[in-house]
Amino acid sequence: MITAEDRRELYLGAILLAMVVGHWLAAFYYAPVDEHQGEVYRIMFLHVPSAITAFASSAALAVFSVLGLKQRSEGSLALAKATAEVGLLFTVLTLATGSIWGRPTWGTWWTWDARLTTTFLLALLYCGYLLLYAAMPAGPSRIRACAVLGILIFADVPIIYKSVTWWRTLHQPPSMLRAGGSTMEPEILWTLVLGMVILCLYGAWLIRFRSRNIRLADTLEAASFDQLQT
Amino acid sequence: MMNSPFWRHYRTLVSQGIQAELADLERLVSPVLFALTTLLLFAFAIGDVEPALRVHIYLAETFLTALFALQINFSRLFEPDRQDRVFDLMRTYPVDHTAWFLAKYTLVLAMGSATLGPTLAFAAFVNQSPSQPLFSWVVVGVAAMALAGLAALGVLLSAMTLKANARQILYPLLYFPLATPVLLAAVQSSQLYLSSGQITADVRAWLGLLLGFDVIYITLGALLFTELVDES
Repeated sequence: MITAEDRRELYLGAILLAMVVGHWLAAFYYAPVDEHQGEVYRIMFLHVPSAITAFASSAALAVFSVLGLKQRSEGSLALAKATAEVGLLFTVLTLATGSIWGRPTWGTWWTWDARLTTTFLLALLYCGYLLLYAAMPAGPSRIRACAVLGILIFADVPIIYKSVTWWRTLHQPPSMLRAGGSTMEPEILWTLVLGMVILCLYGAWLIRFRSRNIRLADTLEAASFDQLQT
Repeated sequence: MMNSPFWRHYRTLVSQGIQAELADLERLVSPVLFALTTLLLFAFAIGDVEPALRVHIYLAETFLTALFALQINFSRLFEPDRQDRVFDLMRTYPVDHTAWFLAKYTLVLAMGSATLGPTLAFAAFVNQSPSQPLFSWVVVGVAAMALAGLAALGVLLSAMTLKANARQILYPLLYFPLATPVLLAAVQSSQLYLSSGQITADVRAWLGLLLGFDVIYITLGALLFTELVDES
């Protein structure tokens, strides 16, 4: 049965999805063509917001992990697991769009460039988190172990962010947050900032929605286990 | 101060750990033998290389082999504690958990040094070149710094995966990605040092990163280990 709360959640998700589509339209029709890369640069409007959402997910994972350690609640763990799933989704999207962008601009689908390698590392860490969750029996041990790993994953994110400046790499250096201001045209910059905000909001909604599903699945599993016992 | 309950717990736990390790010498020797065999396999697989590449190959071989061998040491750290439910009982005793972490960390540092020393010496010996000496105390120092960070991570992951199913496969899947920043900083700083023969600004920058990750992993290790073993 669909409750009023479920309906509100779905409406919110539909509105956010419409905003994502609206942003893509702005990326195609409002942002001007790049004078160096031509049309191909437009994939940046999906690539950069995905990367930001993937990094933001690791920060959210750390927050839910700290909450998990403090409260020792299954609710925080469900939120953390949902965050790891959403983080993995956006990390894979970042790698895929980066690879598609790299083919025409660098001449290769993949290279062991620092930013690519460290982003791939983040995807592996999210996978590791989900594997640890699956490998532990439910209970306080799982809450603690997953929370500790969530905090460790967040500790590795600065190296991923700074990798472009620490190594001499193919990947372009930051063009938004740099000394002397952004090098982008205002239309491109604002479309990109809008995309980041919208995708982060959509990621937050996905986390909320998925965590409710996880809690529901846990409740059903516990109920079926109780039924087997009686 | 050294007679405070903290240090008494620490000394007792280190002494108990050493006795458990010495009771099963195979545990100490097998990672060293594993490292030497891996180096041999690398030597066969890579073969003769240009002198210009020798430093790069030597460092890649050495640090990768050490990483694999240390993983064996780390993943089996709590094996003696699993028998007779020692680990679960220890959690209920009024033992300072930071002292417990430090005791395990000290033990891992000692076991890791026993693996790392022969690996560095043997790798330098089999890759030696008359034009460029490969053995350097600076590289030994970098390896020790890398061990300091990896050991803290090793203790934490070992405690974390203690109750996980399929921990033999789960442990390396978690350990290798988290160890990558430490490995990268160790290899890059050593390579720059062996190429230039001096501690340049670039070498110092990489050493700074290595030190940064040491501090992060040791601090998080001490703080989070306490949370992991907390009985409440």
